[in-house]
Amino acid sequence: MTSLVEVTNMYFHYPRARIIAGEAAWTLEDISLSIQPKSTVGIVGESGSGKSTLVRVMCGLLRHQQGNVKFNGKDLSEFEGDGANDLRRENQIVFQNPRRSLDPRMTIRRSLSEPIRALHNRQPGDDEIIATIERVGLGREVLSRFPHQLSGGQLQRVGIARSLSVQPTILYADEPVSALDVSVQAQVLNLLMDLRDQLGLTLVMVSHDLGVVSRMCEEIVVMRHGRIAEAGRTDSVLARPDSNYTASLLKAARAASLERA
Amino acid sequence: MLQLRDVRVVIDGHEIIRIDELDLAPGSRLGLVGESGSGKTMTAKAIAGLLPDESKVSGSVIFEGQDLLTLNDREMSKVRGKRIGFVFQDPARSLNPMMRIGKQVSEAIRIHSDLKGDAVTAKVIDLLHQVQLPEPETLLRRYPHQLSGGQQQRVMIAAAIAADPDLLIADEPTTALDVTVQEEILRLLISLSEERKMSLMFVSHDLGVIRFVCDRVAVIYGGNIVESGRIEDVVAHPMHRYTAALLAANPGMPKDDNFSAFIGKRLQTITGSVPAVGKFPSGCRFRNRCLSATDACSTMPSPITTGNDHRYLCWNPGDRGQS
Ligand SMILES: Nc1ncnc2c1ncn2[C@@H]1O[C@H](COP(=O)(O)OP(=O)(O)OP(=O)(O)O)[C@@H](O)[C@H]1O
Ligand SMILES: Nc1ncnc2c1ncn2[C@@H]1O[C@H](COP(=O)(O)OP(=O)(O)O)[C@@H](O)[C@H]1O
Ligand code: SF4
Ligand SMILES: [Mg+2]
Ligand SMILES: [Mg+2]
Repeated sequence: MTSLVEVTNMYFHYPRARIIAGEAAWTLEDISLSIQPKSTVGIVGESGSGKSTLVRVMCGLLRHQQGNVKFNGKDLSEFEGDGANDLRRENQIVFQNPRRSLDPRMTIRRSLSEPIRALHNRQPGDDEIIATIERVGLGREVLSRFPHQLSGGQLQRVGIARSLSVQPTILYADEPVSALDVSVQAQVLNLLMDLRDQLGLTLVMVSHDLGVVSRMCEEIVVMRHGRIAEAGRTDSVLARPDSNYTASLLKAARAASLERA
Repeated sequence: MLQLRDVRVVIDGHEIIRIDELDLAPGSRLGLVGESGSGKTMTAKAIAGLLPDESKVSGSVIFEGQDLLTLNDREMSKVRGKRIGFVFQDPARSLNPMMRIGKQVSEAIRIHSDLKGDAVTAKVIDLLHQVQLPEPETLLRRYPHQLSGGQQQRVMIAAAIAADPDLLIADEPTTALDVTVQEEILRLLISLSEERKMSLMFVSHDLGVIRFVCDRVAVIYGGNIVESGRIEDVVAHPMHRYTAALLAANPGMPKDDNFSAFIGKRLQTITGSVPAVGKFPSGCRFRNRCLSATDACSTMPSPITTGNDHRYLCWNPGDRGQS
C-alpha cells in the first residue's frame, strides 16, 4: 500500500530561529514517518516540541529545508500552480482556538463558503452550505450569525465543517478540543470519530491528552525537542513504551486522569 | 475556615449563584467542578469580593470567623492577597505584559508587608525558588512574554502566595498547559498547601485533575452546589445525575492499561448545553438535560447527607454504574 504522506529524514527551521541559535538549531530534526490512507494518527509531546510545526510542514504550509515530504507519492515541491490548490484542498487543518481561527466580521455562512470560493473558484449553493453545517450537528439557523454569537463548541464544529467543505483526504486537527470543557470535548471528539468513519478520512490529531489519543488514534508519534522520540501502534507504544520520555508522559497523564474501562 | 451559607448573587434580576452550604476545612483542598458557565468563577469572585458592582449579594461568607460580605472595600482588599490569594484562569491576561516579572511579584510583597529594598528582592527570589522557577536572579528581569505558559503560571502562584495566605483560590490554573507542565504545577500546588498548611480551592472542569489535587469536591451547576463530598466517594458513587454525567463525559485513561479496548470508543455526552443566565429551569437546574428527571424535579430538591459528609440535592439519585 502506498503511504498517503511519506516523510523521510526531514529537517526544518524557522527563518530567523536558525540564525539566532546557530547552525545546529533545527526546529524539526531527522523526521521520518509515514501515514497510511484512512488511518488515525496522534501526535503528542510537550509544548514546543514541534508538533504544530510538523503538521504545517506535512500539509505544505511551511517548507522544510532538508529531506523529503511526499503526498500521494509526489514530492510537495511538485505541487505548483493548480497543483498547489489541490494540495491545500486535500490537506485541511482545524486549529485549537476556534474563536481565533474564524474572522469575527464574517457571518458563519460567509466563513463556510470561503474555502470553496478560494479553492474551487465558485460560490457554493445554499443546499451545499446547509448540508455542510448539518453534517457537524448544527442547524441552519447559525448560518446568519457571527462567531461571537456562538459557543466554543459550536465554533469548533463550524471550523470542522469549514475544513470538510472542500472534501479533503486528510484532516489535521491541532489540539481541536483543548480550549473546550470536558462535556463539549466529548461531543466534538465523537463528531470527529463519526465523520472520519463516514467519510473515510485520514485523521492526524495533535493532542496533549493521552486519554484522547488512546481512544481515537491507532498510531501515535511522540515528539520531543523536534525529534520523534517514539512512534508505532498506540496500544503497544503506550502499554510498553520504549522511550523513558513516553513513560514520563504516561505517568503524568495517569496521575491527573480518571480510570475508565 | 471558610463557610458559605445561603449565598445568593443576583445580577440584572437573574440569580447567578445560590449556594445553600459550602465548607472548606483548614488545610484541606477543595475542588470546584462544573461545565463552563456553571458558576465556578462567579463563586470564586463572590468569596474574593470581586463581583461586578451591579451585583446584589446576600447570605454569609465566613472566613476565619469573619463574615466577608459585611466588610467594606478597603477591609476586603486587605483580606484579599494577604489572607486569601488568587490565581486566575489565564496567566497571559492576569500578568501585566509591560512589567518585569520581579516587579510584579515585589508589588504583591510590598502591598502586604513592611519589607523594603534588598529585603524585597531577596523575598522575590525566594518565592520564585519556591515555585521552582529556574535562575530566579535573571528571570526576575524578564517580561511575561519571555516566559512559557507554565512559567507564567508559576509567577502567578508566586505572587499569590507572597503574603503567606491561609487560603489560595486557583481558578483553572492549568487548562492552557500541556500534561507534563500541568502535572508539575498541580504537584507544586499540593506541596505548597501541605508545607504552608494553606487551604486550597481549586476550580476546574476536569474531575481527573481534581481527584489528583483535592481531598474534597463540590459540583456546581446553574450556580447551585448540587453535590459535595470526599473526592473518592463522589467519583466512585456519584449521586446527583449531573455529577454522573460529568464523570461519564471525561475521556480518562484506560483501566489496567488496556489500551486496545479503548480504541474507537465513543465518549458519553451530556444532552444539550449549559443555558444562558436566566434560562435555567426552576427546581433542579439540570432537569431539562437530565435523563432521569421525574415530576418531582420541578421543585428544588432538599439536601441529603450520607456518611463522610457526602451531600447532594437530587430527587432521583444514584450512579448509573459508571466505571
Ligand atoms: N513562527 C515561528 N517562528 C519562529 N519559531 C517558531 C515559530 N513557531 C514556533 N516556533 C518555535 O518552534 C518550536 C516548535 O514549536 P511548535 O509550535 O511546533 O510546538 P508544539 O509542539 O506545537 O507546542 P504546543 O504544544 O505549545 O502547541 C518552538 O521552539 C517554538 O517556539
Ligand atoms: N460580569 C457578569 N455579569 C453578568 N453575568 C455574568 C458575569 N460574569 C459571568 N456571568 C454569568 O454567570 C454565569 C456563571 O459564570 P462563571 O462563574 O464565569 O462560570 P464558570 O467559571 O463556571 O465558567 C454564566 O452564565 C456567565 O455568563
Ligand atoms: S433532581 Fe431530578 S432533574 Fe435533577 S439531577 Fe436529580 S433526577 Fe435529574
Ligand atoms: Mg502547537
Ligand atoms: Mg470560569
